[in-house]
Amino acid sequence: MPISFLTPLFLAGLIALAVPIVIHLTDRERRDVVRFPSLMFVRRIPHKTVRRQRIRHWLVFAMRAAAVALLAVAFARPLLEGAPGGAAMGGAARHVVILLDRSLSMGYGDRWARAVGAAREVIDGLGDDDRGMLVAFAEQAEALTPPDADAVVLRATLDGVRPSDGGTRFGPAVQMAGQILDASDRQGREVVLISDFQRTGWNADEVVRLSPGISLEPVDVGGGGGNRAVLGVEVDHELRDGVERVAVAGRVANLGDRAVGDVRVELVLDGQVAATQAVTLAARTTATVAFPAHPVTRTVRAMVRLAPDSLPADDAFHFLAGPQRTVPVLLVEHPSAGAAETVYLRRALEVGDDPPFRVDRVPAGRLAPEPLQGLPAVIVNDAPLGDAAGRALRAFVEGGGRVLLVFGRRTVATRPLRALVPAALGPAVDRLADRGGTMSQLDYDHPALELFRAPRTGDFTTARFFRYRRVTPDTLATVLARFDDGAPALLEWEIGAGRVLLLTTGLDTEWNDLALQPVFVPLVHRLVRYLRDDDDRTAVLTVGHVLDLAPVADSVAGAGGELVVETPAGAREVADPRGAGRLFAVRERGFYVVRPLGGGVRDGVTVPVNVDPRESDLAAVDADEVAGAAAAGAAGERRAVAGSLALSTEERERRQALWWYLVVGVLLLFLGESVIANRLSRGSSRPPLSQGERAR
Amino acid sequence: MTTATASRFLDPAVLARIDNLELLAKTVVDGFISGLHRSAYLGFSIDFAEHRAYMPGDDIRRIDWRVYGRTDRYYVKEFEADTNANFSVLLDVSASMDYVGGGAVTKLDYARYLAACLTYFSRRQRDRVGIVTFAQDIVDLVPPSAKHLDIVLHTLDRARAGAAGRLETALPKVAETLGRRSILVLISDCYEEPDAILHGVSLLRHRGHDVILFHVLDPAELEFPFDAPTHFEDLESGDRIPVVPEELRDEYRALVRQHVATLSQRLREQRIDYVQLDTGRPLDRALFEYLSLRQRMNRVP
Repeated sequence: MPISFLTPLFLAGLIALAVPIVIHLTDRERRDVVRFPSLMFVRRIPHKTVRRQRIRHWLVFAMRAAAVALLAVAFARPLLEGAPGGAAMGGAARHVVILLDRSLSMGYGDRWARAVGAAREVIDGLGDDDRGMLVAFAEQAEALTPPDADAVVLRATLDGVRPSDGGTRFGPAVQMAGQILDASDRQGREVVLISDFQRTGWNADEVVRLSPGISLEPVDVGGGGGNRAVLGVEVDHELRDGVERVAVAGRVANLGDRAVGDVRVELVLDGQVAATQAVTLAARTTATVAFPAHPVTRTVRAMVRLAPDSLPADDAFHFLAGPQRTVPVLLVEHPSAGAAETVYLRRALEVGDDPPFRVDRVPAGRLAPEPLQGLPAVIVNDAPLGDAAGRALRAFVEGGGRVLLVFGRRTVATRPLRALVPAALGPAVDRLADRGGTMSQLDYDHPALELFRAPRTGDFTTARFFRYRRVTPDTLATVLARFDDGAPALLEWEIGAGRVLLLTTGLDTEWNDLALQPVFVPLVHRLVRYLRDDDDRTAVLTVGHVLDLAPVADSVAGAGGELVVETPAGAREVADPRGAGRLFAVRERGFYVVRPLGGGVRDGVTVPVNVDPRESDLAAVDADEVAGAAAAGAAGERRAVAGSLALSTEERERRQALWWYLVVGVLLLFLGESVIANRLSRGSSRPPLSQGERAR
Repeated sequence: MTTATASRFLDPAVLARIDNLELLAKTVVDGFISGLHRSAYLGFSIDFAEHRAYMPGDDIRRIDWRVYGRTDRYYVKEFEADTNANFSVLLDVSASMDYVGGGAVTKLDYARYLAACLTYFSRRQRDRVGIVTFAQDIVDLVPPSAKHLDIVLHTLDRARAGAAGRLETALPKVAETLGRRSILVLISDCYEEPDAILHGVSLLRHRGHDVILFHVLDPAELEFPFDAPTHFEDLESGDRIPVVPEELRDEYRALVRQHVATLSQRLREQRIDYVQLDTGRPLDRALFEYLSLRQRMNRVP
């Protein structure tokens, strides 16, 4: 196999072979000095003190000479002409995967045009035998072509790619490219990563290592100036002169390194500009822009937007503005219960303003199916359930209703009640003797209780529970809270499409003093809001998140089957909210509309979707860092892709990297030489020392 | 004490562990004497020589009462060992003595042990003991005296190798300090020309002293066992020369042997005893040589 050298002039270093020869012939004297009592006799010997004609320790000499020779050859950068990876690649087929970043930030300035140009350049560089694959990625990677597409297919596909509203993640894209190329049998396997290398998309923890032999070339199309964005809004409701108004405040940010003045910020309600503000933003700061309160009589689409800049996609924030909906709560009571018995519960609900609650009371004996229609939540507070009431509640729950059962002294384990409760109902537990029990075990992962997870957000241990009903649940029920003796305090289970919560002690002050504790009001609010379960229906989503269509279907009038999801771009997709289509990924910013199949827009629910605010920060990570981390498993292989298919001599030498092995050999030789020379040195007589030297 | 045990105390490596020179000398001499129990040297110090009339001041324990019973006169016994001679050690403390190579101790230490033992031994024979240390000039001088054993041992204890030595100039000065006929033990490594050494020692001999020269050398000085080429530095002059030991080893050994032979022959011609000692070997040879000298001195009229 012929060998050539990249820098043959360094072979002149072989002259240095004379050095060990000279050393072995001339400089064999020890560095140590032997102190001798008298040189009287030594001086008398007419003999050459140093012999120069004979080489000793041939092994050491050979190792030294070999090390010098290898070092000179290493500097000459040798390469094997016929070796794999060293051959000219002109006739070898390549497999190139183009990773094209189409995240939102790629819409900044001319980044997208430059990215497409770079991708086209790579495609143009493919030969007839080469194959390629185009992968577009934002938060997820999407293969736009088959793995073995030719240049024609790649060009046609590239023309149809547009930037998206998604965020940036490099990991999935690199992983997909690695998997494709791992399965490839082509000699040249290359990944071209075209991106603005946004720092928010770089997560070192999810770095994917490419296999050895796969090279990665980063193409950075980033750069440019600053960016402004609307990060979010806060909507407050106020009642003035009997008219409900919404006060909107938008959070705007200047993510550039230079301050900008007189930035126009608009509040758009139902397509009309309702107010305009001007704000000055310092470099890399955020500011809150408050708009005057506007009266609203219905829910309308709203938006806070900035004057467009180089990245218009993040210049608007979409949301819904409308009057707060009062949540009706039906309170089912004992027929003989006075108003004073439920005063704590009622007052706790009446003070709620987010959302406001309206409490309707009904005796248990008069509970009928009709009043339950459309109710979001029903509370059965220490009331005996007769057959009719039991049937009505059962039907309500099975149809998707939510019920909170509260046990007390009047609760009787009737057959209708047992039909609702999948648990054995025991007698009341009296804890008066030990001054009451405490609620000690709470499932803070449950949505109804997660508010109290953080410290100083609610202390249940201060409440004393003197009595409660002992309930032994079966496997269908989930215990959300227990008393300190292990007895369940709060349970939950599903019946049909509905859900039932059971509190085994009362919400007045007869069986406990929970109503007197600070945690009482937020607990009641969280329980009812959980029963209402419509928090997410009007929530603002972010591009890339998933919209759960099941609760939306519950609130959409007439929704008995499939739903139609209209995207902001106008596309319509039919989804089955009870089946595989329950989870719908939102990929565009704007307003999604979910309506029944065959229904109008007015029958549907509007869901605002905004871009990930992290995408607005255009700060970039070093492209070489990303490429280096991904290619670390491939021994840092990187090379230029575009251009000639034939590898240059420098490129072939760099790929083979024979000099590196030679240097390792040199180090090993020197190591061995040191060991052997040391042993030889020890083998010779140790020079005697004077007493003074010994003492030292 | 067996001979083997006794000889153990003559090993320089063992003696080097004994800090106290008096204890060292006592251990060596007593052990050595015990080891000679059946030897021809036994009793020379207590062999009866003659009777002489008692004189005031003589130890009454030495009166021979049996002679008194026969003669009614007081006679005391005189033994051969009771010579009351002067004994001095002439110790070379030149820089070249501060060397240890193949031996266990430096030449100076070996010389100090030897001097201590001989001094103690002599004192056992009731000799007056003294010491002179010298290099190029006299360093310490302790005149012979019956009470000077401790001083001699102390002088030996603090003797340190110092300047360059030269017997040719030092020994005449020593000779001038010694008045009465003495037994002189000269301990040196003799790094001078034989003529120069002979000149100095002869001067002592001509003044009536009995001289025995102990030529102390380290085994490395005799064998020259060095291997690696290196620079050698003269301990006294500080001169350095590059040396390939393996090339000149044989010639060096021959020169040393010639030097020793020349000294031995020339000194014996002058009736000067010469003993070449190796610091790697026990002290017994030196002691034997000394005993031989004393025996010869006592028996020769």
